[in-house]
Amino acid sequence: MTRHKYTKELFTRIPGGEMPSIVVAQNENLQSRFVVQKVLELREQGVPLDEMAVLFRSSYLSFDLEIELNKANIPFVKFGGFKFIETAHIKDLISYLRVIDNPRDAVAWNRILLLVDGIGPRTAEKVIEDLLRRGTPQGGDGSSGSTLPVFRPDAASTPDKLRTLFEALRNVAPPHVTPADKIQQLLQYYEPVFTKRYDDHNKRRKDLEMFQQIAERYRSLNSFLVDLTLEPAAESVTDITATDAEDEKLVLSTIHSAKGLEWNTVFVIYALDGRFPTTRAAMNDDAMEEERRLMYVACTRAKEHLFIAYPINVYDRESGLILSKPSRFIAGIPDSLLDTWVIDEE
Amino acid sequence: MTDMKKYILKKASTEVAAPDPARQFRINYRNELNPAQYAAVTSVNGPHLIIAGAGTGKTRTITYRVAYLVELGVKPESILLLTFTRRAAQEMLRRASMLLDARCEKVAGGTFHSFANLILRQYAPLVGFDSSFSILDQSDAEDVVNLLRTKLKLDTRERRFPRKQTLYDIFSRAVNTSTPLKDILHDEYPHFEGLLEEIAALQRAFEEYKARHNLMDYDDLLLYLRSLLRDHDRVRRSLADRYTYLMVDEFQDTNRIQADIVRLLSQQYGNVMVVGDDSQAIYSFRGATVRNILSFPEDYNGCTVIKLEENYRSTQPILNLTNEILRRARA
Repeated sequence: MTRHKYTKELFTRIPGGEMPSIVVAQNENLQSRFVVQKVLELREQGVPLDEMAVLFRSSYLSFDLEIELNKANIPFVKFGGFKFIETAHIKDLISYLRVIDNPRDAVAWNRILLLVDGIGPRTAEKVIEDLLRRGTPQGGDGSSGSTLPVFRPDAASTPDKLRTLFEALRNVAPPHVTPADKIQQLLQYYEPVFTKRYDDHNKRRKDLEMFQQIAERYRSLNSFLVDLTLEPAAESVTDITATDAEDEKLVLSTIHSAKGLEWNTVFVIYALDGRFPTTRAAMNDDAMEEERRLMYVACTRAKEHLFIAYPINVYDRESGLILSKPSRFIAGIPDSLLDTWVIDEE
Repeated sequence: MTDMKKYILKKASTEVAAPDPARQFRINYRNELNPAQYAAVTSVNGPHLIIAGAGTGKTRTITYRVAYLVELGVKPESILLLTFTRRAAQEMLRRASMLLDARCEKVAGGTFHSFANLILRQYAPLVGFDSSFSILDQSDAEDVVNLLRTKLKLDTRERRFPRKQTLYDIFSRAVNTSTPLKDILHDEYPHFEGLLEEIAALQRAFEEYKARHNLMDYDDLLLYLRSLLRDHDRVRRSLADRYTYLMVDEFQDTNRIQADIVRLLSQQYGNVMVVGDDSQAIYSFRGATVRNILSFPEDYNGCTVIKLEENYRSTQPILNLTNEILRRARA
């Protein structure tokens, strides 16, 4: 006999409670903004930030939200996985963009030079000195990017190994190339570096996609970089009456890292079929059941408020499909158990 | 060996007597627990599986059961409580002590790894180690892998070899999921499949290095404890006599080696209570297998299953939804 589960029917003796909701957003960014607005609303109603958590299947799924939280000055801590802009491969990409935006950025130069095979710290230092000496052009959004002498170094003093790097930078520097296109082209240059440098590049590749996807909302490289790197301005939440709890922070967590914990309010984001469950799990029954248990663990963390959100119109590069269906673990659950909300802009 | 006759010794009775109904306990268990919790707490002898749903007071139940056993007269030192973090064990025993008295502090509690360490210090020579063996943490172990990787000249200019973290992850997965290297590579690192031979050679070198230098990593602690129990009957029986009541928390997250250890430790007297929730098994990528909890009643003769379903965390509308999510799971 093979048993697949022990049936159980949890109940509480405490009456009342608000219906959990499924929230449909037209795109990823609206999903993030929904979470931001709802968090602020609940905070005003007296739910402390650290009594609220946003949970997701995979660490990269919170990247867009992290940017929106930074913009709204909502302090947060993230458990499980790294913060988006702290991951090494995202830092690599940001560094390429930074030298285009600000050709004097020696820190970013150093990082991308060291990514080139055969370039060590000493060569990198020399190259950077050389770059800085040969003029400090007007940076800022690559406004004069294509003509920058920086990206056309002297033939004599440039190691051969760097030619393709400079060529790649020169091609994407012109301001008419949108941030998303810049990234797309840089990714072609970066690809061999990336696969060589990271053994687990298969797992990291989704991050790069997500990065490009976020960039699609921006027309200016500079504002994209500013949003990415902006630290939460202060520890306190603006426009909210501060309590004595200075360290009060919203919790962002992978579901795995949320095990055993509980919060007054839980948001489960990206409950989108193809993201949660992942496309990969669809090939294996056991893996699919484990995904379902993950959804169960996520939802059972909530004490009073539970919002399950998903964006639609999400392009999945791996399969070439547009993802628009709610997670199969939630789809088809009767209205008597779950309110449906649609997000609309003012 | 095969034609030797076996002389079977009868089990010594270590079971405590069933409590006299008129007996007065210091703790009013019936008042302080719900009926399912009470049933779990007052289950004493034989194998028990406690299915503790989310937010149903699992920690409370374990805490009260420790106190109950001690009140019944079980020696605290003969209760072994295995949890997933040391802190969890300490917290439960601290609470039990506050509930009853300081006797509960003498209960043996810890993680599978800390328990393995304790036992292997005593019996290390039986598994080929000196009892002063050192334990390699993850980064130590990775450094050893790196050392050998360089020594064996596996990384050449023409062909890139996986980094130390990747290699150690591959080795550890193979151990924890009891899966051949070949399959790990195929499933997780297909781009390194062509390097199977070299990776396998490195793994052998890693094992030899640890043995030669009297080193164990975390995985070894479990592996050697299992071999010790499996291959040395005398030791197994002596440990079974020492720990007559075994409790295991988060049983849904155990791997095969841990389940084997539980079975080997408890097979003598059969007093084992495992607690967990199959619906919250989410660590298969680390080698845990939900089969351990699902097949427990079949694996342990005379097992009683008790379900904790009264929730103290969520509102009923949230529970209605989560119940529905589970109802749709494969039956």
